[in-house]
Amino acid sequence: MIGIGLANPAGALAFAAVAILVALYLFDRRRHTIPVGSLFLWQRIAPRPMERQRFRADLLFVLQLLLLIALAGGYLRPYVEEGGTPATGASLVLVLDVSASMQTREAEGTRFDLVRRPARTLVAHLGAGEEAMLVTAGAHARVVIPWTADHARMQDRLETLEPLDTPTDLAPAVELALGAAADRPGASVAVFTDLPPQESGLAPADLAGVDYVQVGHTDDNLAIAGVTVEQPPFSTASEATATVAVRNYSHLARRAALEARVGERFWTRRDLVLQPHATEQVLLDDPPAAGEVALTLETGDALAIDDEAVTYIAPTERLDLLLVTASRALAADLAEVTAAIPGARLEVMPPTRYEAAPPEGPRTALFDRVVPAEIPTATNALFVAPPPGSALCSAYRMVEAATVVDWEADHPALRGLGPLEALEVTHAGALAPTDWGVPIVTAAAATVAFPLLVAGERDGRRVACLAADLTPPLASSDHEPLLLLTLGTLRWLGQPEETVFQIATGVPVRVRGALSPPVRGPAAGAGLSIAGDPPVLLAERRGIYRVGPPGTERLVLVNLFDDRESDIGRSGGGEWPARGHARSAGPPLARHEVGWWLYLAAAALLGGEWIAWRRRLGR
Amino acid sequence: MLRALRHRRKRAATTGAPGIDLTPYDGLALHVRRGMGERTGDRRFPGHPQPSGIELEGYTAYAPGDDLRHLDWNVYGRLDALLVRRFTAEREVLFHLLVDGSASMGVPARDRKFAVASELARALAYLALSANDAVRLAVLPGAASRVYRQRASTLRIVDELAAATPGGSLALDRALEAYALRHPQPGATIVISDLMMDPLEVERGVRALRARRYEVVLLHVVGAGELDPLREFSHGMLQDVESSATHPVVLTRTALARYHTLLRDHMTALAALAARSEATYAHLTTGRSVAEFVTTDLARLGLVRRR
Repeated sequence: MIGIGLANPAGALAFAAVAILVALYLFDRRRHTIPVGSLFLWQRIAPRPMERQRFRADLLFVLQLLLLIALAGGYLRPYVEEGGTPATGASLVLVLDVSASMQTREAEGTRFDLVRRPARTLVAHLGAGEEAMLVTAGAHARVVIPWTADHARMQDRLETLEPLDTPTDLAPAVELALGAAADRPGASVAVFTDLPPQESGLAPADLAGVDYVQVGHTDDNLAIAGVTVEQPPFSTASEATATVAVRNYSHLARRAALEARVGERFWTRRDLVLQPHATEQVLLDDPPAAGEVALTLETGDALAIDDEAVTYIAPTERLDLLLVTASRALAADLAEVTAAIPGARLEVMPPTRYEAAPPEGPRTALFDRVVPAEIPTATNALFVAPPPGSALCSAYRMVEAATVVDWEADHPALRGLGPLEALEVTHAGALAPTDWGVPIVTAAAATVAFPLLVAGERDGRRVACLAADLTPPLASSDHEPLLLLTLGTLRWLGQPEETVFQIATGVPVRVRGALSPPVRGPAAGAGLSIAGDPPVLLAERRGIYRVGPPGTERLVLVNLFDDRESDIGRSGGGEWPARGHARSAGPPLARHEVGWWLYLAAAALLGGEWIAWRRRLGR
Repeated sequence: MLRALRHRRKRAATTGAPGIDLTPYDGLALHVRRGMGERTGDRRFPGHPQPSGIELEGYTAYAPGDDLRHLDWNVYGRLDALLVRRFTAEREVLFHLLVDGSASMGVPARDRKFAVASELARALAYLALSANDAVRLAVLPGAASRVYRQRASTLRIVDELAAATPGGSLALDRALEAYALRHPQPGATIVISDLMMDPLEVERGVRALRARRYEVVLLHVVGAGELDPLREFSHGMLQDVESSATHPVVLTRTALARYHTLLRDHMTALAALAARSEATYAHLTTGRSVAEFVTTDLARLGLVRRR
């Protein structure tokens, strides 16, 4: 079979030279003069302005035009493909890896372009009536085109298909393809990816049943491997810091520049030198404002998608706390802490007074060693060291000398806090499981692990239980982690609703609250899918999305931090045909570039032009 | 055969122009009705009887001082009257070859109008000198040469023409008037030019020559590119090489037809003015052979005859 194509489609820009040639001729027509012996007769013929005359091509122009067309055509590197596998009368399932690493630029084009061509050739070799299916493998398997005999449609879709910004999960897509092929005798599965077979996650039996084509060579990549923003609760935006992990996946030392912007404002720029396979943690401090932070790594490497990341610095929150405690020492200590927080307000109330007349209105309250029988609905509450037997939350046993062993880093109550390993609790009551909340911090003592902090919602209000005692002095270095954990929890309790979500591409995330279209962002908002109630977000393109009507919009910040995608180095690829049939093991496609013929034609035209020019001179 | 070969070699040696074949013009001479010179020559001018000569033309009454040798004693015996014989005048003709050397003779370059004009002048000079006539050459607007009378002087004329290149501008009427004033001795003037000018201008110059009793011959050199301008261009800004004036032209079918009509009218006007001025007019297209033009066209007009 014979197919034709262009190895360098971008070369079509060279055809702009034709327009330049015509423009030059038009310009030359204006200024070109022809010497004559006398105007005696010519002056009796009405003059005709050149601008009004239509363009009349002469032989030299035609030759030059053909020369340019031949050169530009040669630059397109057209080719003819011959041979290949003849039609087998069987169906074909194409599995294309559309993960982020397929955007890697190799010398011959992107990796996706490298697999697109043979995939299209396979479709071109299908006989009339033979059916094909197209499955993509990103973070999830997706049937892009179900069984169809419409090869033109399949070719069009292959041409327009582009890789996503997601991680790779090849195995489900291959299993899906094998399942679809199993229903059709003689059907084959062709897998195109940049993952080596041994790293594909496929079982050996699955690998044996597919024609596996791997591409890729370069390892030239630097990436923003992660971003962490540390922002103590109730601190100002300028106190926030961001730590950016920049990793060099190349076998060569590389230079790069990391630039950070907050909204439209420039934050900072750092020049980096990274040794082969090294990681550098870059600490950025003193941001100019709160808002979304865009990080850009200027490298010019082979994979651009992981050279950018986004994060968020929250504006300063205001602490308005009602402290219900019988401990004057704790009240005095917390008063000292709140005095250090700009704009903070603290009201202290003994438990007896609170139970007699609980204050109405939306408040955040901290109950120390007490769980009142009745709490107004608008009050979000943090119960510290709740006494045993309480209905809402209670400690079932006392624990000494516990340390934090696990925590939900993504929970908003813990946002902006550093690692919690440093948190040691000398005296705490192990909390019993509750039906309204989940443990977000877990501690362990010598013999038991228990929830240290439980957070959730009950009766429309936010509730949290902290198992540890708040013992003065809270601002001491020993108690500072516990104080920060308490303030972080109070901040979460005081927040009306989350407005900023940070998620990773390819990972579905359930969020609280309603999210409704429109969605504005990368790929005209199509890079982010929202479904279900409560809504689940799934992003396929990284970047900043704004969801909802203007004025009430939520921010969704999407990043790709995936070592497997950023580590793009491959051994050069290869083909592993399936055992048992020979669709891809057939005679390879022979590609003949015909651009040289066009260059030869151009040389001949150049000679012809020279002859025509000499003849014109000889006149 | 050997004699013929020797004769050919001798002839080439006498004409002296290496690489130039003048043999087609052997045995031919220029013939004009007017322009009798003052010096004795081979050419007979009837109507101008003189006391001595070869061919008897008539008689006149004897006057004291007449040469008694020419008294016709037989007539005196029969008629008793003293009559003296008068003979036909035999003079040379001074041919003035005026070649247009203006810049217009250089375009279109492919037509080589000046080269054709030079070749024509060379041939005519050879014809004149071969018949023992005199030749004076002028490449206008330059000065005239001295008078040549030897056939071997053809080489000088060839050199002078080869040294000339077309350039500058020329007002033909003023140039011919000035030439007639500077050279009052009558003769035959052969003007070789592209004549791409107002016929009135040409006529003024011809009349100035005729006023000095010159025989005038107008030889019009027409470029093939002037006959078919489409061969040179289809559109463009035409520029007069002498005045630098410009004129935009697009050779549409209508414009081309109009040009051909104008050119035909122009040549007809030149022929008419020649007839009015008792001059001779002929045109030579650059694509034609000069020898053919001389031996055919000019012979038909009576300007070239066998000696």
